[in-house]
Formats: sequence, structure tokens, C-alpha cells
Amino acid sequence: MVGLIGRLWNLPYKSIVKEASGKTLAVTKFFCVLHITNTYLCTFALAYGPSMIPTFNLTGDMFLAERLSIKFGKVGPGDIVLLRSPESPRKVMVKRLLGLESHSVTYVVDPMNSDRCDTIVVPKGHVWVEGDNIYNSRDSRQFGPVPYSLLEGRVFCKIWPPKEFGSLMKSGMKDPDL
Amino acid sequence: MIPTFNLTGDMFLAERLSIKFGKVGPGDIVLLRSPESPRKVMVKRLLGLESHSVTYVVDPMNSDRCDTIVVPKGHVWVEGDNIYNSRDSRQFGPVPYSLLEGRVFCKIWPPKEFGSLMKSGMKDPDL
Repeated sequence: MVGLIGRLWNLPYKSIVKEASGKTLAVTKFFCVLHITNTYLCTFALAYGPSMIPTFNLTGDMFLAERLSIKFGKVGPGDIVLLRSPESPRKVMVKRLLGLESHSVTYVVDPMNSDRCDTIVVPKGHVWVEGDNIYNSRDSRQFGPVPYSLLEGRVFCKIWPPKEFGSLMKSGMKDPDL
Repeated sequence: MIPTFNLTGDMFLAERLSIKFGKVGPGDIVLLRSPESPRKVMVKRLLGLESHSVTYVVDPMNSDRCDTIVVPKGHVWVEGDNIYNSRDSRQFGPVPYSLLEGRVFCKIWPPKEFGSLMKSGMKDPDL
């Protein structure tokens, strides 16, 4: 008992505290860098749902999305973008950007039932997004053009599943120049 | 936002936690990104959340005609305190909730107007 107290008394507290704070600082720095990268540079996301078939599968593909293009305004029609849903603020969706402000967008109103097309001019400060699978996608055809500030990232690379690894082509199935 | 904020520029503090936890309500002054100019941030008063019914004066300079609208899901209705000279939801419609950036809680400049901002101001949504 006395020996235990004696050993406790003689522990090199200074160096333990120093080492612990050094390691904590390293971990904190790591998380800071991770947070900054995630918020300002590049993030990864998991997409599930049928709205972007065949580009993304039903059961969930992982991809990387970068944020710099959005901040500098360098996105254009044909890009796949991450955006906050205008109907559910906590939900983030993945859609394809089809038109920027003052672009004239032609879309199929209800592809399941008819071939009727409609044309709309995208208002200032807004963008038009649609899923690749227009038969089963909730996008600008339902909730209208979305404000540009709702865009969160531009998808540039799919990382899961491994056999579909690779950068995503700009046009995919929907070539806006056709 | 006259008379709450002066023409020549007041400084205030805005906190972001209320927005993230969804604790803003009608009567709060909020910072939001303009839906028309993505690089611009505006200060307006929140008047209605989703599924609230908002009554507003359409054109106060020329007539007293009021209009009522139900705010759609995921959106909010914002108006400036100075309805005679304010570009807000009466012009660009309800804005998505995600465009809100902060809730103003305290004015810090000019010093004689220092203090926390009352919820209602001139526009009491309960009247």
C-alpha cells in the first residue's frame, strides 16, 4: 500500500501530460483538416434510389464530390450535382444539372403517360436539375427550378462498387447538346 | 429593414445553431442567401414557416390589397420590416429553408442601439 502510493507519487506526471496533450493536439489537427476538406474541398456520399439509373444503381453507390466548382461557379449543364432538397432541408439529393439561369430547358412532363414536352426559361439565380431516370425521379419537373445556393457539390468520380470505379462522363445518357 | 436597422449600416450578431436545429419561428430576424443572387446575403424577418398561412400586402405604395398564401413544405416566407421598399418573398416567393444562414439576436453597432433585438419589432405576427 505504501509502495503503491510511493509509486503514484513518483510518476513522471509532467511528461505524461505532455505526451497526452501532444497526441490530443495531433488528433484535433487531423479532424480539423478533415473537416475543412469535407466542407470546402471534397466530400464523399452514398446515393440510393432509382432516380439516377443507369448512372447510379438502386442500392447505393459511393462517389466523390468536389465543392470548389460550385463556389467558383464552374458547373455547367451535364454535370452531376449534389443539392439540398428544396422540399426537405435535411435531405441531400443527386441529380444532373440541365440548365443554368436564363437557359431555356425542354423537358418531358410525364414520360409514363404521354410524350408532351414543355419549355421553360430558368429564372435568375436558379438551376434546373433532373434525374437520369426520368420515369422515377423527383426533380425540377415537380418542384421547379432550384436556387443556385442549394447546390452542394459536383460529382466527379465513382468509388463504389469497385468494378464501376472511375470518373463520370459529363453527358451520360442525357446529352444536353442533342 | 427600417426602422429595425438603419439605412447606413448596422452591425449585428447572428447565431447559426437555431437554424441547424430548426428552432427559428415567425418574428425572428434571419440572414438568408438571396434566391436571385447566390453571392448575396440578405437580412429579413421570418413571417411564416412551412404550411403556415401568410397574409401580406401586395403593393403597399399603391393599394391596400392583401393576399394570402400557404407556405409550401420545406420553405419559409420572409419580409423586410420596411414593406414599402423591400425585395422579399412578396417578389420572389417563399424561399427554401436551406437558404437560411443565421438568426440575428443582438445588434452591436451603433453603440447607442446596442442590445438584443425583440422578437416582434413593428410587425407582430400574432396581431
